[in-house]
Amino acid sequence: MNPTILGISAFYHDSAAAITRGSEIIAAAQEERFSRTKHDPRFPSNAINYCLSEAFIEPDELDAVVFYDHPLLTLDRVLKTIIATAPDSLAQWRKAGRSILGSKLFIEEYVRKALGTSIKLYFAEHHASHAASAFFPSPFREAAILTFDGVGEWATTTLGIGKGNRIKMLKEIDFPHSLGLLYSAFTYFCGFKVNSGEYKLMGLAPYGKPVYADVIRDNLIDVKSNGSFRLNMEFFGYLDSDRMTNKKFESLFGGPARSPESRITRREMDLAASIQKVTEEIVLKVASYLRDLTGLPDLVMAGGVALNCVANGLLQRKGIFERIWIQPAAGDAGGSLGAALLTAHHRLGVERNIAGDNGDSQSGSFLGPAFSSVQVRAFLDRGEYPYSVVSDSGERSNLIAAALADGKVVGLFNGRMEFGPRSLGARSILGDPRRPETQATMNLKIKYRESFRPFAPSTLREKAAEYFELDVESPYMLLVAPVRQERRLAENGPPDEGAEDLLAIVNTPRSEIPAVTHVDYSARVQTVDRKYNAAFYDVIAAFEESTGVPVVVNTSFNVRGEPIVCTPQDAYRCFMRTEIDMLVLEDCVLLKTEQPRSDDDDSWKQEYELD
Amino acid sequence: MDIQIFQYHPLIGFHFIPDLQTRIQHESGGYLLRTNNAGFRSERDFVLEKNPDTFRILLFGDSFTAGDGVGNKYRFGDVLESLIPGVEVYNFGLPGTGTDQQYLVYREIAAKFEHDLVVIAVQVENIRRVASRFRMSQLASGEKALLAKPYFEFDESGALSLKGVPVQNTPIRPEELTEDEQGYVDQGGRLLWLRQAINKVGGQVKEVVQRVSKYQPLPEYDDPKGNEWTLMKAILKKWIDECEKPVIVMPVPLYHYVEQTASADSYRARFAELADIDGVTLHDPLSDCLSVSKAERRAFRFETDIHPTPSHHRLLAESLSRPVRKKLEDLSGE
Repeated sequence: MNPTILGISAFYHDSAAAITRGSEIIAAAQEERFSRTKHDPRFPSNAINYCLSEAFIEPDELDAVVFYDHPLLTLDRVLKTIIATAPDSLAQWRKAGRSILGSKLFIEEYVRKALGTSIKLYFAEHHASHAASAFFPSPFREAAILTFDGVGEWATTTLGIGKGNRIKMLKEIDFPHSLGLLYSAFTYFCGFKVNSGEYKLMGLAPYGKPVYADVIRDNLIDVKSNGSFRLNMEFFGYLDSDRMTNKKFESLFGGPARSPESRITRREMDLAASIQKVTEEIVLKVASYLRDLTGLPDLVMAGGVALNCVANGLLQRKGIFERIWIQPAAGDAGGSLGAALLTAHHRLGVERNIAGDNGDSQSGSFLGPAFSSVQVRAFLDRGEYPYSVVSDSGERSNLIAAALADGKVVGLFNGRMEFGPRSLGARSILGDPRRPETQATMNLKIKYRESFRPFAPSTLREKAAEYFELDVESPYMLLVAPVRQERRLAENGPPDEGAEDLLAIVNTPRSEIPAVTHVDYSARVQTVDRKYNAAFYDVIAAFEESTGVPVVVNTSFNVRGEPIVCTPQDAYRCFMRTEIDMLVLEDCVLLKTEQPRSDDDDSWKQEYELD
Repeated sequence: MDIQIFQYHPLIGFHFIPDLQTRIQHESGGYLLRTNNAGFRSERDFVLEKNPDTFRILLFGDSFTAGDGVGNKYRFGDVLESLIPGVEVYNFGLPGTGTDQQYLVYREIAAKFEHDLVVIAVQVENIRRVASRFRMSQLASGEKALLAKPYFEFDESGALSLKGVPVQNTPIRPEELTEDEQGYVDQGGRLLWLRQAINKVGGQVKEVVQRVSKYQPLPEYDDPKGNEWTLMKAILKKWIDECEKPVIVMPVPLYHYVEQTASADSYRARFAELADIDGVTLHDPLSDCLSVSKAERRAFRFETDIHPTPSHHRLLAESLSRPVRKKLEDLSGE
């Protein structure tokens, strides 16, 4: 029996759909890629349509549809919280109530409308969906499971075990005590957007010193030796207001929260370093306890906190577990996939088909739509956009590599779109990591931002250890690893403690690959396996052939605030709005110098809300 | 997301992108669309030589035939196959085309495929399209723009002459057209502004207005010597004359005729003129449509989309199966 199951996540952030057949993942995609609204929380009609298209089935051929969260349990948590914190919580209730009563409770109606048919809808629990998304696609027959996020129904942290086609939850920490919300509180306080700016806070941490770590430990969170924790709610606003922190929190850290887009000061750098350190401590403690609890050598992880690749890298290096696998769509989007797999294995008894050769079942996370060369050419021909066809993939790789080596920036659109927040070579903008100016060029002329974060490196799987202190694969860009000592530049050490000009600091070359080396010599590495993305692998190999360096800069194919491109139209639009020099759409190569002048003025920049 | 599903063709204007597999979002919930290597909606690739045991039909038409709004298997061409064992239907339907473009599909692409019968499903609104040179279309970007189309004119000798080829590839903004050219834009009917206003209000109002005003959607059929019908008839006659195999012409009615809010007399009279052409069988499915209840007829179209629902496709297939069976009997009699 190979039942086909549609999983849906929606109405919080990062709505998505996924479809599975048996234990195989057929497709998965986030709604934002189709709707072009970043972190789109709305019902994922477009993503569902895509999933049905990829599986090529009518809705009435589905065996089950499952929602990743249990609205009634969430309602239970919200109501109990409101009662406990009334009357201060009424504003919060008005906001949350609209979401829960207005959407989640009527999910069945949305599903019927989107599918045009009545089909039974199942509900999975939020953290069970995360756990399933982590364990079932992993390469492990059995593993310990760890999920951390803001909140789902009641749980914020769960510890479990996966074996064969079953998962079992062993322990959980409940709302309001949440590592995800603690991190988000600091994200908010440092002037970044909650649920999207957490990675900026993580990127800011290396500039600071963890001088507030003790203040956090002494006042905000009580961490036991087994990693379990309780937050001191006197300092947080999310129970009884629509803000993450309150006046007491401000008093603790020397004044009000930083205003978004204002100058980042030493305080924010040190706060970032401090909360990052505390987070890492908790992750390590919980992991140690979980290792003891389960006795298992392998760990799988999901939930928004599992996107903290600095903590992940540390966990990997500490060796608490022998092997770690992290769901690349670790946030709520991945819940759609987990819910589908959970239903297949638990409810319908589907046997798990574990990928051999130590591989996982995530297919490189290339689970989104692809566009054939004919489709690309149909689009380019209709617009009369000049292009040349380079059918030979080797020739194409050499062409791209030569452009990169020449300092050009290349947009690469190749195969199925990634599922998860990282571009992994299917919808990527590439650059030369050796050039100190690459960082500034790509930020200012492509991303239209001034960023204190370096770009990420993509390297050949078998060459990763030559440049990074990394002895495992990192195919999903979820591990941060140090650049090897011998690749570092001796003359430029860590920044001065008093320095506050982040751009000057980050633009100071610190290694042979400065564009991807952070101020603490770390890098968010992607190891590329030819098995999953031959075209991207060959580009890096060709770059190595011509430069001796098997590393390229890989950043997401979008501008700031824009979802990553999905279609050839999206890619061409982004190409023309930025100073990307070359666009490769499957086997079609476009040069900016040959394109007609775009009618766009700068007003398009208002289309996207800043992240 | 708007998926690009059409590819430019210099003579016909466009066809589907070959080997496409996608799902189109629709008020019905959506429908699956698969194209073959020739660029037409089909579950299989077309092959030149047919199996001697099969009776192959080449089917032509617009979106009603191509199946806008429904999956391939629900289209009347596909249902016809399931109704008559041994029948194979090659569906060359192309949405948004006129009979002129459908004739070009036959001449340039389809005729070379071995066949036993040609079925021309003329959605009656096509009379307006054959008289036009530009059509408002939705691009893959979601924007609306005019696309040029090929068209026929009578030359000095009275013969049909193909114009507008190669078809302009790029979309055209309305303001780019000359005043003369603006008269050749297919707006989808008369009184565009009024239709748009009524459509915004909703289905019930639209139906009441049409009924009260005795709206006749296609007055082009009223005059047997009118320009549009003269051109349409000449194209059909030329097409039929070029066919070496028997032809069935099936006028496919708009919902106004099916639901009897407009009189079908004019268009039925015009198509009846074709019955005199050698080798052609005229098959009018409207009587079959009218034989079912009013409620069933309303269910022949979607809530707002006027394209045939699966139940209408089935009725059209059952209706068409009669003359097709007759052709099969004639063939076995030979």
